[in-house]
Amino acid sequence: MHVMIINGSPRVKQYSNTDKILEKFTAGMSENGTTFEQYEISDRKQWDKIREAFDKNENILIALPLYVECIPGLLMEFLESLTPKKDDSKIAFILQSGFAEGIQLRCGESYLKMLAGRLGCRYAGTLVKGDNFGIRLLEGAQREKITDPYTEMGREFAVKGDFSSDECRKFTGPEVFPPFVRAVLGLVFMTVAKRSFKKAAASWGCTRPLDYRPYN
Amino acid sequence: MILIVNSTFDDQISKEVSAAALERELDIEVIEAAPLKISHCIGCNHCWLKTPGECSVKDDYEIILKKVIHADQMWVISDTALGFIDHKGKNIFDRILPICTMYLKFKGDQMRHVMRYDKKTDIGLIITGEADRDYLKRWSERAALNFGSRSLGVFNRNEIKEAVSCM
Repeated sequence: MHVMIINGSPRVKQYSNTDKILEKFTAGMSENGTTFEQYEISDRKQWDKIREAFDKNENILIALPLYVECIPGLLMEFLESLTPKKDDSKIAFILQSGFAEGIQLRCGESYLKMLAGRLGCRYAGTLVKGDNFGIRLLEGAQREKITDPYTEMGREFAVKGDFSSDECRKFTGPEVFPPFVRAVLGLVFMTVAKRSFKKAAASWGCTRPLDYRPYN
Repeated sequence: MILIVNSTFDDQISKEVSAAALERELDIEVIEAAPLKISHCIGCNHCWLKTPGECSVKDDYEIILKKVIHADQMWVISDTALGFIDHKGKNIFDRILPICTMYLKFKGDQMRHVMRYDKKTDIGLIITGEADRDYLKRWSERAALNFGSRSLGVFNRNEIKEAVSCM
């Protein structure tokens, strides 16, 4: 199988969490001979090539971050420029987000299912997973703890050619956290998480409180 | 104040909205966004972690951002594509991130970002062209969570009176 992959993140490749996810995913996917070509939506210079590759390939995978409950505006702009296919192509998606619970991504997932048809392709499922915000802020082993599990999903995709398996479905994790976990996380948000966000901000050169109101 | 953001090039729609709103003596402000320079969100997270509340993309979106934090409602008039609002309409929503902070909390059973401002702006959609309206209704309800608010509904271009009756 040969897979054409589009990184649908508007963030440049260097800082793209989706790219780090794809790095692990494609490592697993390629282990047994599956090949791929990858393109970045964030680089408009690639758009002509991506359109050509979309027309030519039958196995398409779009990986994207959730932006306001659906697909990012820049990816939408690109997709609007495609001519819907009329062959037997199939399209699968990797949908990732910062928020951790599966329920946060379901509205976006529903759109992707519809989108496949609108692009004239068969829908080959969506790998849904949140809790990825830390990829950019963390490095080394801490980052890999988040991204490593995608390697197994890549292996799974290479075998099945879609994301319909139970393993892929379970990969999402909990739809919502149970009340006890929410209570604990609520405390973490007010203490440890706040401190780590402030630390990250300071390392980015931020000199203002994170709840600063510039327009009041 | 009710903010109307027209992301289409058809200013007739916003004129009709204005006329219907005037009849109801509503306080509205219209921004014709299509001729403005409004980029997509580049996902840099600077509005959360580097310059809190300020977008790193310096373009005309700041006009909308400065208004929306004082608006009781924001209605986006949008063209449609691929069953959804088109990229111009989606960019209006994607660029709203500076009104949220990086901080997190639980609202009900789901995580949300803590809002930066006190005002909670309800959102509404007026669409031109074909789209999956049931999906858009669902999406607008979810999108409103990002404003800490609620959706006022999704209306077609030929339902302006109905839309204005919900303002």
